[in-house]
Amino acid sequence: MTHSTLSALWSRGRITAVSALCAASLMATTPALADYPERDISMIIPFGVGGGSDTLARTIANVIGELKLLPVQILPENRPGGSGAVGYSSVGKEKGNPYVIATVSVSFFTTPLQGGSPVSYRDFTPLGAIAQSPYVLVVPASSEYKTLDDLKKAKRLTTGTVGVVSDAALLAKMTSNGLGVKIDAVPFDGEGEVMAAILGGHVNVAYFNPSEALPQIKAGTLRPLAVSSAKRADAFPDVPTFSELGHNIVHTQIRGLVMPKDVKPEVVACWEGVLKKVAESPQWRTQYIDRFHDVPNFMNSAEFATAIADTSGRYERLMKELGVIK
Amino acid sequence: MEIMGLLIDGIGQAMQPSILASTMLGAILGLLIGALPGLGPSAGVAIMLPIAVTFGGTAAIACIAGIYYGAMFGGAITSILLGIPGDAPSVMTVLDGYPMALKGEAGRALGMSVFASFIGGLFGLAGMVALSVPISRWALAFGPTEMTAMMAFSLSLVSVLGGRNSIKGFAALVLGMWVGMIGLDPIAGPARYTFGQMDLFDGLDFSVVAVGLFGLTAMFTSVSDKIDRDAASFSLRSLLPRFRDAVASRWELLSGSIIGFVVGVLPGVGATAATMLSYATAKRFSRRPEKFGTGIVEGVAAPEAANNSASYGNMIPLFTLGIPGSATTAVMMGGLLMIGLQPGPLLFVNNSEFIWTLFGSFWVGNLALVFLTLLLTPLLASILFISTALLYPVIIAVVMFGVYAIEFSMANIVIAIIAGGIGLVLMELDYPPVPLVLGLVLGPMLERNIRRTMIQSEGDLSVFVQHPISLTLFIATAFVIVLPQIMRVLKLRKIPADEAEAEAMPADSERTA
Repeated sequence: MTHSTLSALWSRGRITAVSALCAASLMATTPALADYPERDISMIIPFGVGGGSDTLARTIANVIGELKLLPVQILPENRPGGSGAVGYSSVGKEKGNPYVIATVSVSFFTTPLQGGSPVSYRDFTPLGAIAQSPYVLVVPASSEYKTLDDLKKAKRLTTGTVGVVSDAALLAKMTSNGLGVKIDAVPFDGEGEVMAAILGGHVNVAYFNPSEALPQIKAGTLRPLAVSSAKRADAFPDVPTFSELGHNIVHTQIRGLVMPKDVKPEVVACWEGVLKKVAESPQWRTQYIDRFHDVPNFMNSAEFATAIADTSGRYERLMKELGVIK
Repeated sequence: MEIMGLLIDGIGQAMQPSILASTMLGAILGLLIGALPGLGPSAGVAIMLPIAVTFGGTAAIACIAGIYYGAMFGGAITSILLGIPGDAPSVMTVLDGYPMALKGEAGRALGMSVFASFIGGLFGLAGMVALSVPISRWALAFGPTEMTAMMAFSLSLVSVLGGRNSIKGFAALVLGMWVGMIGLDPIAGPARYTFGQMDLFDGLDFSVVAVGLFGLTAMFTSVSDKIDRDAASFSLRSLLPRFRDAVASRWELLSGSIIGFVVGVLPGVGATAATMLSYATAKRFSRRPEKFGTGIVEGVAAPEAANNSASYGNMIPLFTLGIPGSATTAVMMGGLLMIGLQPGPLLFVNNSEFIWTLFGSFWVGNLALVFLTLLLTPLLASILFISTALLYPVIIAVVMFGVYAIEFSMANIVIAIIAGGIGLVLMELDYPPVPLVLGLVLGPMLERNIRRTMIQSEGDLSVFVQHPISLTLFIATAFVIVLPQIMRVLKLRKIPADEAEAEAMPADSERTA
């Protein structure tokens, strides 16, 4: 009782602080926008309920609500279809509208590159990122490969990926170039099928998010060889990074939020403030970071914009190398 | 024996008011979602997930799972009464269920589907309880190479469903395979046959096509028929289930349950393919194959036993290995994470109480669904007394809502209507619709696995005979194809199923009359 009252008081203190922050940054330039946000904000989820993007978006909305960082509600809305194109285009077409928001995902980059979407990353305003998900390279526990360098001994390796163009396919290409060993990617229809393929020994190596790999590693069915983040991941303190092992391979999935193009800089500043608070909050840590073993990492709008352009460039190069696009 | 003790304990745990209530809620919602044409278990589970997780812990997952197996009961209802598959795994139930309803045996068909669902469910549950761990290890042996062989074997078995003109049957099969190719090429990447429409990027949803092809076609044809159907032939007797049928169909129930379970465990195959195999097997080994498709209880028993059994089989890799083998179990995995459990090989060890309570709730839910659906049978069957002039407009509206609700997409409504139109053309030209849906389900699986195998082996075809499981399945395939020809040449004995295909089946085209 006491605790909840205290925390309510505490968050009320915060809400005034943050609202003041948003309003101040807005008032400085345009008085008309002084009271952004004045109505509820729709958070468009371009995928179905229960998936990774859905959980991410709903958790962010939930934490913002719990911390009372905005005076309005965030309403999550699933708009699946067209490999993300339906949802993302509905956001991207709302030029200048600061009341729609979306999280980025792999499809945010790849579907436009494959020519399946009327909008691309250039049609969005990056707001900020709050976490990164590294990938861990694993082999079956029974595999002859004990370290990353052991993979060099192989004549040729196979890996399973979800779809043709994905982070796993990108990392396979990077590993292949780095180690000088041929790695062929076999596309499957979902993480579950890739997991079945590696556990059944039908592919040699695989790349998983920490939350997918951890239970298998703990059970002793998969062996981790390297992680793809710049620093070691908390979930696997004993697993070296690719960089430590002497390979310049760093690629993580960035969890961040975007709005349509041309929203006012004051709105971006407001959201940067909100996202920074989310990223540093204990609620975000317990509800997301600890559960999915992501690396907490706040990026402001400019840093996130650079990361988005970089990521899109990486995918584009990969797709050209694979011959998916010209 | 230890397992029995754990299970009884689990059933006891599942009787706690909170878990019992959420199991019932899930089962009843599943029944409704299954019965609503278009909406199936995967969409239903996804829609309910955010609400169910608020129940917390075991109750949340008991509710979600209830929706899954409840939908397997519910899907049969509209398949039988209206000829509209309630969801993808009940498409095959239309083939005999709907003709039975037209003959005035709606109650009998519904009763059979309830028995079959119950038996299939019991079998699946028993298998789940006793064999979870070994069978999930066995399923891992199926890589792309083995899956290719499995699909070839499946296609050889389902060839008995081609209709009386094998050329037309093949044409419909190829059409189905082509429709299955629409969308992003799953192996190489580029879009195929999407004509720049982003709604086609993810391919066509099978249940949307099936609802159009069977359900809307049936209603479209009624436009040219006389306005109302003769309702006089229906009697009270027609509304009641017949318990004798369950005994008469015991072999179909058994084979359906086994096929459903085994196919259900394999990741990426699913309940729909299981029903097709089960129906085809029942027809091939039946003493009266020529009657399949004309409205016989065996034709309802086989697929309905298979889809329920498959729903439990499908959950096994999720609970034992942390591998979601289908869209529905992928959402369930999301549910496990949301309630703070880590799906994976250690779930059984670390959370055994959760697992056994959940399994207990499956038994409770399965039994409750039997009583519920048996009680509802007369009520549901009497829907056929309503004039089609009143019924069909309402049904079309419900179908449109169901199709829309899968992805909240208007595009799906358009696709369903187009499928209905194509169904009408196929019917007028006397092309069978069944091979089309077979092609649509099995074709993409065959294509993907051939291409995956070729990437793995760098184009070397000999892997198909080097892998023992694959070799065995290909030999079985050859056996299924060649044996009838040898028999025919040697004039040894007539295989009833093939004979029936060779001869005309006049009742076939009357199905939707």
